Amino acid sequence: MIIFGEINCLGFCLETSSIAHLVALFFVISIALLAASFIIKRPKQRLQTFVSAQVAVLLAIAATFYTMKCSEMLSFYLYLAYVGITGILIFGVVRFYDRLMIKRLDAKPAGNIMEWVQKFVNQLASATVYYYDSAAPRAFAAGRSIFVSIGLLEVLDDDELKAVLAHEAWHIRNNSRTPYLKQLAIMTFSSHKSSEIEELADSFAASIAGREALSSARNKVDKVFI
Amino acid sequence: MVKLDQINLSKDGLTKFFSPIEAEILRALWNEGEMMTSELTEKTSIPLTSIAGTLDRLVKAGYATRRVENISGRVRYIYSPAASEEEVANEITTKILDNLVDAFGPVALENFSKYSDKK
Repeated sequence: MIIFGEINCLGFCLETSSIAHLVALFFVISIALLAASFIIKRPKQRLQTFVSAQVAVLLAIAATFYTMKCSEMLSFYLYLAYVGITGILIFGVVRFYDRLMIKRLDAKPAGNIMEWVQKFVNQLASATVYYYDSAAPRAFAAGRSIFVSIGLLEVLDDDELKAVLAHEAWHIRNNSRTPYLKQLAIMTFSSHKSSEIEELADSFAASIAGREALSSARNKVDKVFI
Repeated sequence: MVKLDQINLSKDGLTKFFSPIEAEILRALWNEGEMMTSELTEKTSIPLTSIAGTLDRLVKAGYATRRVENISGRVRYIYSPAASEEEVANEITTKILDNLVDAFGPVALENFSKYSDKK
C-alpha cells in the first residue's frame, strides 16, 4: 500500500525534521478550536473559533507539506481528507441544523397550540413552525423550520406574529438559493453581516403583514430575529 | 437549588439569596399563587424584557413551575411557585448551616446552641 509507505516516510521526515512539534501543535490547536466552536454559544465567537480552526488545519497541512521532502502525496491525502470532512460538516450542519435545534430546544409543532400559525406559513413557504419552552420572545429560521418561543407567542398580537412568521418564511424560501457556506453563516451565526438579507426579509414581511405590525413586533422581540 | 456563590449577606431580606428581580417574582408568586406573565409584569412593574430571562431561570432552577394554556386563542404561560416560602426558607437555612458546620465544625455547633439559648 502506497499510503503506508507515505506514513512511514512522514514518520521518518518528522523525526528528522526540526518542525515536527510545530505540525503536532497545529493539529492539536485546530482540533481544540473545532471542538470549541461546537461548544461556544455566542454566534460571533463561534464563527471566529470555527474560522481559526480552519486556519490552524491549513497551517498544519502546510507544515506537513514542507516536512515531506520525500514525497508530497501524503499532504495531498491529508488535504483531501480535510476537504472531505469539512464538506460533510458544513453540509451536515446546514442540512440537519433544524433537527438538532428541535432536539436541543425540545421544540414541538406550533400547529398543536395555534392552528392558524402553521396554515399561514404554508401559504408562504414549505416550512414547519415549532414552538419551544422559553419566556424570552425570540424567533429564528433553520433548515426548513421556523422556531418561535412561547414568550413570543405571548407578547405578539396576530398581525405582529404574522410579520415575524413572514420574515422567517422569506429566509426559508431564499435559503435554498443561498450558497451553503453563506447559509451556514446566516443560520448559525449572528446576522450583523447579512443586514441586506434582513432588509429584504423585512420588506417581504411588511408586504404581508403591514409595516406597522412589523415595527411593533420588532419593538417587542428583545433580540433581532435571525 | 440555591446557588451559594450568589449569596450576598450585605443585602436585605430575600435579595441576600436571590437577585432583586428573582426575589420580587418569588414574592409575587407566593402571595398570589398562580399568575400569568402579564399579571407578573403588572404586579412587579418589571418590564417584560427583564422579567422573561429571569422567569426562565427560576423555572430551570426549580423555584417556579409553569404550564402553557390556550386562553381564547392566545397562548399563555401560567406560573406557580414550585415550593412554599417556608420550604424555600428551610432549604436555604439547611444548606447554609451545613456549610457552616462543614467549614468550622464544633465552633459552628457551639454557636448554634448559644444562639438558640439566647432565643
